[in-house]
Amino acid sequence: MEIIFIITTLIIVAILNVLIKRRLVIEFFSIIASSVALFESIVVAVKVSTAGVYAPFVFFSVDSLGAIVMLIIACVGFITTIYSVQYLRQETVKGIIGFTRVRQYFVLLNIFLAAMFLAVTASNPVFAWISIEATTLSTAFLISFYNKPSAIEAAWKYLIINSIGLLLGFFGTLLYFTSMSSLGENGFVSWQSLLANIVHLDPLIAKIAFIFVLIGYGTKVGLAPMHTWLPDAHSKAPAPISALLSGVLLNVALVVVLRFKIITDTVVGQHFTQNLLIAFGLFSIAIAAFIVLTQENYKRLLAYSSIENMGIMALGFGFGGLGVLGAVLHMIYHALIKSALFLSAGTIFLKYSTTKIAKIKGGLTILPITSIFFLVGFLAITGTPPFGIFLSKMLIVSEGMKIYPIISALALFLMVILFIGFFKHVSNMFFSQKPKDTEAGESSAWLIIPPLILLVIMIILSFYIPPFLSRLINNAVSYY
Amino acid sequence: MTIIFLHLSKKNFLASIAYGLQSLVIMSFFLNSFFETNNLTILLVVFLILIVKVVLAPLFFIRLIKKNALAFSVSTYLNTPLTIISIAILTFIAYYQKFFPLTNIVPADQDSLSLALSAIFLSLLLIINRKGALSQILGVLSLENSIVAFVIFAGLEQNPALQIGIIFNIGIWILIATIFMSMILKHFGTLNVSSMNNLKD
Repeated sequence: MEIIFIITTLIIVAILNVLIKRRLVIEFFSIIASSVALFESIVVAVKVSTAGVYAPFVFFSVDSLGAIVMLIIACVGFITTIYSVQYLRQETVKGIIGFTRVRQYFVLLNIFLAAMFLAVTASNPVFAWISIEATTLSTAFLISFYNKPSAIEAAWKYLIINSIGLLLGFFGTLLYFTSMSSLGENGFVSWQSLLANIVHLDPLIAKIAFIFVLIGYGTKVGLAPMHTWLPDAHSKAPAPISALLSGVLLNVALVVVLRFKIITDTVVGQHFTQNLLIAFGLFSIAIAAFIVLTQENYKRLLAYSSIENMGIMALGFGFGGLGVLGAVLHMIYHALIKSALFLSAGTIFLKYSTTKIAKIKGGLTILPITSIFFLVGFLAITGTPPFGIFLSKMLIVSEGMKIYPIISALALFLMVILFIGFFKHVSNMFFSQKPKDTEAGESSAWLIIPPLILLVIMIILSFYIPPFLSRLINNAVSYY
Repeated sequence: MTIIFLHLSKKNFLASIAYGLQSLVIMSFFLNSFFETNNLTILLVVFLILIVKVVLAPLFFIRLIKKNALAFSVSTYLNTPLTIISIAILTFIAYYQKFFPLTNIVPADQDSLSLALSAIFLSLLLIINRKGALSQILGVLSLENSIVAFVIFAGLEQNPALQIGIIFNIGIWILIATIFMSMILKHFGTLNVSSMNNLKD
């Protein structure tokens, strides 16, 4: 019931937002909806941690990894909704947007959140596909939110590339379904029934199907070379949406890939899918590392960092063993840190009215608190100790060293390159001389609190993981 | 045939008609399946394809072409001889023995499945090769039709989840894509995607 409650609440609020003409009420309802989603997600996660799988209704089923991603969606969703209120108010004051845009934003935001919840909780692969397609369609309008030519271009690129990717993912999905048709099953095919019947599938079809699924959903994950939409979309969307796209949506798509991985492994063994994940993962890290060096836009810088981190996760799942533990932990830490970084980037944008790195000077003097958040985020995301990502990266690389030492060493080298590139840009932005014409000072506490909460959660989780979350992580690791 | 025509056609109007025709063929496959099984969801899919893909979408595209004087489609990345060679190579690949497990899902329909697979490859080429936004949309829609054709030949069209997936894509995707096409026209004054060069930072 909790899952239905979350999705219906978000959808009802989206519909109400279309009708309501008072901004305050729209903001209030949206915060209520996201807080309901957060509360219910915690309830679901606790149930999954004790029961293993929670399937309250035939169309929904949540496993341990699904519950972790649900928590990520709910937590980041709630924080970004709070941040969005103040962020959009500031943009209204600056005359960038009006009431209609604000209403459109909150309608689409709630649909986007509902679609992501549906994608991870759907018991049926096709419903998961429909939900991910729904995220593409709702976020396309959020990317083109500012209605500028560059935003329209980014949204168009996003729509076309992801639609092609998802159609290929759909094709891969239906190839898996051929194992069911041979049994004469015409009902709704769940992940579980697909797994149970997959032995009837020709191993070659399973391999081809997984390639299509990996390319298809991998486009949404942001794995190179299908990543080209990601930096454009993330840099043109409003900052809170970039936080959700980067911190949450990429993980949602990755979960679907991993579910198909388990199914494929049953027929062809682990090596085939593992090798593919390692190849795509390493290529993503390499692409991101070299492009970050020459990056001129800080939102694109964060987007490329997301490509790198999704590559690291793919590498972790590809290595298997402790690498999977590293990848699951990496998923959690990355979601929190990257969202905090994008929210901080939003505050920087509000102050400087630019996303060009060269034009951001004296950040530490002008926006002292936000700059500290950004610096902490930078240190955490690049794997500096004692933050959690240091541990997750170490787990992945150390597991890789056992079987794929050259690949692991190469990945480590690329991570160092990315750190150098990222550090160069960050030092230029925050440790340079303050420009005379820019007034110093944070604009609002409500732009500081949301990223602070995310960073605090990340720091706590770096040292202490609550028992229920620990159980979820362990179960996810043993399954995937 | 319609996909090859979409590749070679220089006129947007004819391309839209070709897409409508292609959708009509897909609809007839579903109609045939309905007569065989009496499955009402399939009948719903038939009606949706007829209304949205056969009638509304081509009409919308033609109206857009007339309204904005988009009589001729914009250029391709490959010239016509190279396009024809690429079409031949992709068709050969689809019939290649490596894809035998894929096209042998239903042995009786092996040729049809190979044809659907080649249609998938050719639709992908259409999307990559054309510079026009309308051609790209037609390419994505054609890719969808090709996958649906594969679904039918593989005997999977009875699966309700797949039917819902197809219905969702038909209804929502076309709507969103056409809205975006209007936005591109409004902002760029053309549907030529090569004029989109604002994302160089």
